[in-house]
Amino acid sequence: MSSIALKLEGRRLIGLAPLRQYLALFPPSLVLLLFFAIPMGMMIGLSFQQQGSSEFTLHTYGRFFGDSFTLAGLVRTIAMSGLVAICVTVMAYPVAYYLARSRSRWRPVVFALAIAPELAGVVLRTYGWLIILEDHGFINNALIWLGVIAEPLPLAKNMFGVVVGLTHVILPFGILSLLTSLQGVDPNLEKSAQILGASRASVLRHIVVPLTVPGIVSSVLLAFTMSASAYATPAILGGAGFKVLATMIYEQVLFYIDWSFAAVMANVLLVLMLAVAFAGSRLEARLHKKLNV
Amino acid sequence: MKIRYLALPLAVLSCAMGSAQAQQLIVNSYGGPYEQIIRDTIIAPFEEEFGVTVVYDAVGSSSQDYAKIKATNGRPGFDVVVMTASQSLDGCRDGLLEPLTTETVPNLAHLNPAISAVAGQCGAVHELQYLSLLYRTDMFETAPDSWMDLYDERLKGSIILPTFNNVMAAYMTQLMSVIHGGDLDTNVDPGFEAMTRLAAQTIGFEQSSAILESYIRDGRVSAMPFWDGRAQLLVDSGAPVDYVLPQEGSVPLIATLNVPVGAENKQLALEFVNFFLEKSSQERWVEGYKVGSARTDIEVSEAARERKITTEADLEGLYLPDLSSLAANLPEWGMRWEREVVPAAR
Repeated sequence: MSSIALKLEGRRLIGLAPLRQYLALFPPSLVLLLFFAIPMGMMIGLSFQQQGSSEFTLHTYGRFFGDSFTLAGLVRTIAMSGLVAICVTVMAYPVAYYLARSRSRWRPVVFALAIAPELAGVVLRTYGWLIILEDHGFINNALIWLGVIAEPLPLAKNMFGVVVGLTHVILPFGILSLLTSLQGVDPNLEKSAQILGASRASVLRHIVVPLTVPGIVSSVLLAFTMSASAYATPAILGGAGFKVLATMIYEQVLFYIDWSFAAVMANVLLVLMLAVAFAGSRLEARLHKKLNV
Repeated sequence: MKIRYLALPLAVLSCAMGSAQAQQLIVNSYGGPYEQIIRDTIIAPFEEEFGVTVVYDAVGSSSQDYAKIKATNGRPGFDVVVMTASQSLDGCRDGLLEPLTTETVPNLAHLNPAISAVAGQCGAVHELQYLSLLYRTDMFETAPDSWMDLYDERLKGSIILPTFNNVMAAYMTQLMSVIHGGDLDTNVDPGFEAMTRLAAQTIGFEQSSAILESYIRDGRVSAMPFWDGRAQLLVDSGAPVDYVLPQEGSVPLIATLNVPVGAENKQLALEFVNFFLEKSSQERWVEGYKVGSARTDIEVSEAARERKITTEADLEGLYLPDLSSLAANLPEWGMRWEREVVPAAR
């Protein structure tokens, strides 16, 4: 009896297993199809039309790639996102390392402080930075009062201000991404290396950092893509002359009412992010291979 | 049997809900001081006269509201919206806004025809503002009376301008163009040249009118172009500022009431538009929101008559841009502004 039951159970498992797998994927796939794939397809279609016409054309792409102003916006987006990705990863690494290794009673406090910026909205935090960085802001006023400078330093309404603001906004994501990776590295490896005479710096350089390459890559990718698509911080801290793709898309949609041009810009942004994600995954695979050798 | 007992109450309930929905009008407009003034001067009297409820939706700027109308193909979920004449023209051309006639909105017949024509067939002009020169009274020995006063050496670093995605920038460029020998639409080179020189006098640009206002209120700048309605509210708030209509003239900001084609309560929406254009409503609006009107038969206080657009003579003194041409030129002018004007401020 029991052997028959097992056989039936086994058959059912074999027959239904793939179906069950797909069943679980069905709700998220449906949501993605309805709210991501279809609008994305419509946006791609819109980019191959000229405003007010439904004929297929590459004219709008020509406008984008033939204009030094829009190309400057693309380059600025890459530079800004690259700088933020580096700043976030470099600043997040020591914090994540402390959180992964520390047994101090202050660890939960540091963890709470690390993710605290996420408790306030991005617009609120960005205006906070504006109050600190602007010409008559806290830093400039303090330095002028102390007699260190006579004229305010250009801390806001430029690339510096935007990178500072975005780094603050994205840092918690970098910390969480690296923390997961660092927690996966066995602490005994570090202890063994130290017992065998390696210095702290050497342990970090030859053991910890190489083993956390996936975490570093994912932190860089996350920070890059989040920065490239950020609107509020560049719009508030960048000032009138600081145009990146996200702020240019907003202007085209709401002010110029040229949705085709906005769709072209959005597609360029999407391709940029996909290219960076692809390059990042290739780099990670290569570094892994190198380490295994 | 149970179904039969339930049928009658359900039918009554359904009719009641249907009529309750028909008596509710959703009006989308601005927040801030505007909201309280429109509630007191227009919405409350309308609700009283028509026995209906108005739901006021203050979410979003007129650009965002228009984007919503466009994205929903004329069914944005509100019945009346306050926009600008440019958006009115654009929405009318795309078939997203309801065309208005003197049959559906009889009070349209009382508006100045030239101003109505600028706003097109789908916009009911319910208010006019002009671009004024706003200045700090404690920073000027004698009040400025010309746009050229902004070029005074002593004002260097003490002026702020709007960014180009605030329509004030395009109007200011057109105005400067006329003053410097160009025109409003085709030859605007003198306007851009003048704005580039003016940008060198500024501390920079801001998009939102509320932020621009904060600069002059706390004394970070001493002069700037600003719409006269908001300028008057600032004066009334007690800030040490005043404003003038400079001798060279000005351009108007024409605000319109619009009804999306897919408005659920279209008939009531048209009644609301008509009510807003009533003589008494326009008088309350001019006195309350401190703006001008395209109805020249209104009777207002001496103070409003003196400073607001309320007469045919006031209207004739304004340069009226061709908004269709402006809309077509905006993308090119926007790029030009970013290349020529913005860098001059650094």
